[in-house]
Amino acid sequence: MEVEDLSIEYTTQAGTVRAVQGVSFEVGEGEALGLAGESGCGKTTTALAIMRLLPYNGKILRGEIRFNGRNLVKLSERSIQRVRWADISIIFQGAMNSLNPVRNIGYQIAEPIILHEKVEEPVAMKRVGELLELVGINRERIRDYPHEFSGGMRQRVMIAMALACNPKLVIADEPVTALDVMIQAQILELLERLRRDLHLSMILISHDLSVMAETCDKVAIMYGGKMMELGKTVDVFTDAKHPYTQGLVAAFPDIRGQRTMPASIPGDVPSLINPPTGCVFHPRCKFAFDRCTAAEPALAEVTPGRQAACFLYPQVSEVMQRAVTTAAP
Amino acid sequence: MRKVLRIMVRRTVNAAITIFGILCLNYVLIRLMPGNAEANLAPHNPQYAGYLADNIRTFGLDRSPEEQFVIYLQNAFTFNWGISYYWKQPVADLLLHDLSWTLLLVGMSTIFTTLIGMVVGSFAAVRRGKPFDLISTGGTIFLYGMPIFWLGIVLQLTFQRNSVISHVFTWWPWFPTQGYWDDPNTGFPQMWAWDWTHISNVLWHLVLPALTLSLGTLAGISLVMRSSLIDVMTEDFVLTAKAKGLSDRQVLRRHIFPNGLPPMVSLIALDIAFIFGGAYQVEWVFNYKGIGWRTIEAIGHLDFPTLQFIIVIGGVAIVLANLFSDFLLLWLDPRIKIT
Amino acid sequence: MGATEVVTKKPTISPLEATLRVAWKRAKQVGTQIYHSRNAMAGLIILLFFASLAIAAPWLAPYRPTQPVADATCSTLQVPATYLQPPCPAHPLGTNYFSNDIYSQVIWGTQISFIVGIASAVVATVVGTAVGLISGYVGGWIDEVLMRFNDVILSIPWLVLMIVVAAKVGVVDLTGLILVIGLTGWSVTARVIRSQVLSIKERMFVERAKMLGAPSSRILVRHIFPNAFPLIFANTILTVAVSILSESVLAFLGLRPPETVSWGRIIAEAIDNAAVLYNAWWLIVPGLCIVFLVFGFYLFGYALDEILNPRLRRR
Repeated sequence: MEVEDLSIEYTTQAGTVRAVQGVSFEVGEGEALGLAGESGCGKTTTALAIMRLLPYNGKILRGEIRFNGRNLVKLSERSIQRVRWADISIIFQGAMNSLNPVRNIGYQIAEPIILHEKVEEPVAMKRVGELLELVGINRERIRDYPHEFSGGMRQRVMIAMALACNPKLVIADEPVTALDVMIQAQILELLERLRRDLHLSMILISHDLSVMAETCDKVAIMYGGKMMELGKTVDVFTDAKHPYTQGLVAAFPDIRGQRTMPASIPGDVPSLINPPTGCVFHPRCKFAFDRCTAAEPALAEVTPGRQAACFLYPQVSEVMQRAVTTAAP
Repeated sequence: MRKVLRIMVRRTVNAAITIFGILCLNYVLIRLMPGNAEANLAPHNPQYAGYLADNIRTFGLDRSPEEQFVIYLQNAFTFNWGISYYWKQPVADLLLHDLSWTLLLVGMSTIFTTLIGMVVGSFAAVRRGKPFDLISTGGTIFLYGMPIFWLGIVLQLTFQRNSVISHVFTWWPWFPTQGYWDDPNTGFPQMWAWDWTHISNVLWHLVLPALTLSLGTLAGISLVMRSSLIDVMTEDFVLTAKAKGLSDRQVLRRHIFPNGLPPMVSLIALDIAFIFGGAYQVEWVFNYKGIGWRTIEAIGHLDFPTLQFIIVIGGVAIVLANLFSDFLLLWLDPRIKIT
Repeated sequence: MGATEVVTKKPTISPLEATLRVAWKRAKQVGTQIYHSRNAMAGLIILLFFASLAIAAPWLAPYRPTQPVADATCSTLQVPATYLQPPCPAHPLGTNYFSNDIYSQVIWGTQISFIVGIASAVVATVVGTAVGLISGYVGGWIDEVLMRFNDVILSIPWLVLMIVVAAKVGVVDLTGLILVIGLTGWSVTARVIRSQVLSIKERMFVERAKMLGAPSSRILVRHIFPNAFPLIFANTILTVAVSILSESVLAFLGLRPPETVSWGRIIAEAIDNAAVLYNAWWLIVPGLCIVFLVFGFYLFGYALDEILNPRLRRR
């Protein structure tokens, strides 16, 4: 999948929120991409946009999302419904509310199977049983209701559901944030195992860098709706190029290091209605200079396989204003 | 299944306790009325004097309050409710007869209201923000705020035999505005028979009162349905359903509705007391001689024996309706089985 | 690498001032949202219209409500009479049996609607909030008993209840009427407040306050009440609408203070005098006033509820 120059905005009573601006990345087959960043930086919005699930007041301004040779942005509603779940599925965070409380989980997992593959219920139920085993849930519980499961088990149900139609790409939006650490490890391990066994591509969204470090091949750092850095996970974390990434990594206490207070990045998250001029990170950046206030850095390759959006690197040029192309919401 | 049975039993017991509470409250209220019980249950008009002795005996007004309470309870359950002064008949006979007419009226309009209200509410929720929603919600709130007695009067004006409109449009239909079947003066046989003459006449008479009551209560149901559905629409699992590739129609039918219905059922159950209050007004305006009409007449004539059990009848009807809706909820919402 | 945080020293302000400042900021926020909401503004306009009628009644109405008019300009009888005149420019809504100008009565009636409506809503809200707060916060058997009582009251058709309470309290004066409506209308408020308190109680900061040793009264006042307040406010407005309706029904049925001329009473008099035959406006106009005033309160109340209730936000 390739995302190119995606821009999304929300219309709210308080003003127009520029949630995502000019974001580009790609995910290869069997690859795991991590999308990291603080809350509100646009990660979830990007994920929702891929599946065209933006709320009524969200709009894709421009950009392309290329998957299997088609541009998802331009597809009709009927077409995208066929793509959803069958090719790309999503696991939401906090499966507390993501499952319908009045239907049993067997029904909910079988639903997309029956819908997309047009099989009869018994056939679908058999597959549901297999899926439940795959994620480590007792088959007997197929007729149980969501509230009869614990948080970790519900997340497993969601994973089983996400895999129901054998998708090629799975998006996991904060899959472990709402769980305690022990369960977190189990779920991550499960995801990793499934990904390897089923050759899935995955986009993992989290604000927790440690989660990313464990599971993802590539990682993309987002801030204020823009992409700051993109590259192989190991490289990005050991040798961060962008000042923001450096700040994030430094904020992690090292269990083997000295016992000092971890550094934090001063300042607050920028307003997406009135973003700062120029580079969106410059108010909080200790390396900021004149050019950072004046113009916006574009994401460019600074070393082979690594992209960053910061004027500290001479390869980075400015973003050019482009016209808004009509796109489906 | 056993769990469900246990819950049903528990709810029934609760209902019984509430009914008992109503009986007690009733007793207290009546006894607290200005003057003493004897004087209140006594006719203010000398021509009723004969029944006074009867009622004193029935309710043991010459005994101590504790004994009176026990007698009161006994009487309540044996349907020995005293004699009405004004109508000179046993209260129980009167009230139970009226109850059947009132139930007919309320029953018919409730069915009509529930169906239409749910449809309108759902449409408005789905088309939120669009013209249909704004118009229907505005119109509904408008109706909601209308005093039901006034609505009845207006409908009477519109559909009476020589209404202003019928002078303009000669084809304008008219409906009877009084009673539940024709007067004896018109030669209409007063004895009930299950034949078409009687049934059609009753239905014809029901049109205006039922229409009034329906319009008055439609608003409540439609608004509640709308807000209940909108509440559900903001839930996460609706997004999950959409993400699975379901069309909007399918999401609505399979995920939103099953979750929107339970809160609506419980909110409507709460509204039932108000619906009954509306029925009383309708009966009064249209001279439809059901419980409501009887209540207001009884007040006008200060006929306390009748009034005494009217509270109970109304209350019991509502408690039973709530019980029914509780059972309905048990069937609709699996979560309740656990709590 | 790391930057150290800089802590600025701010002058300390009293807790009361802090609460007021936050409240003011929130009120301004809500105010803007109201301004942008079509429903809220429409409701507000209707309310202001009627409010100005009520306030300007002494100057706006040509006669006092119980004052017999001396002229028979509108009379269509052979021998002109001052009573039961049909409408004409001198008396836009005609006169009633006692020769009172109905147009003036309707204008003066606005005052009664507001006074009774708001006063009884205040009574109902105070009682309902108190019951709801106590019931929700204390819990236990007090909660059970109160809710049981509430159930019983809710089960009785409100009309019957009002009539019986009216007979007890007596509607011989305005205060009595206000008490009657207020004391029968608190049930729904109590329920709503109670469930709100229950959900607030579960939230962490209440736990923390308790652990810090704050007494229950303090928690109630400083934490629970401010969070429940927006809901209480929106609920009150809706209660006012219901009170106005209740008052009109009571007045129509005859349970009213003798001297007050309210819209319900005007309609009742119209029916009694067979107005249908010669002066339909006598019936229609007061009814329309009730409808629109209640409509205004409902519009505003619902819009406010939507603004203050975060769950109703759109997805």
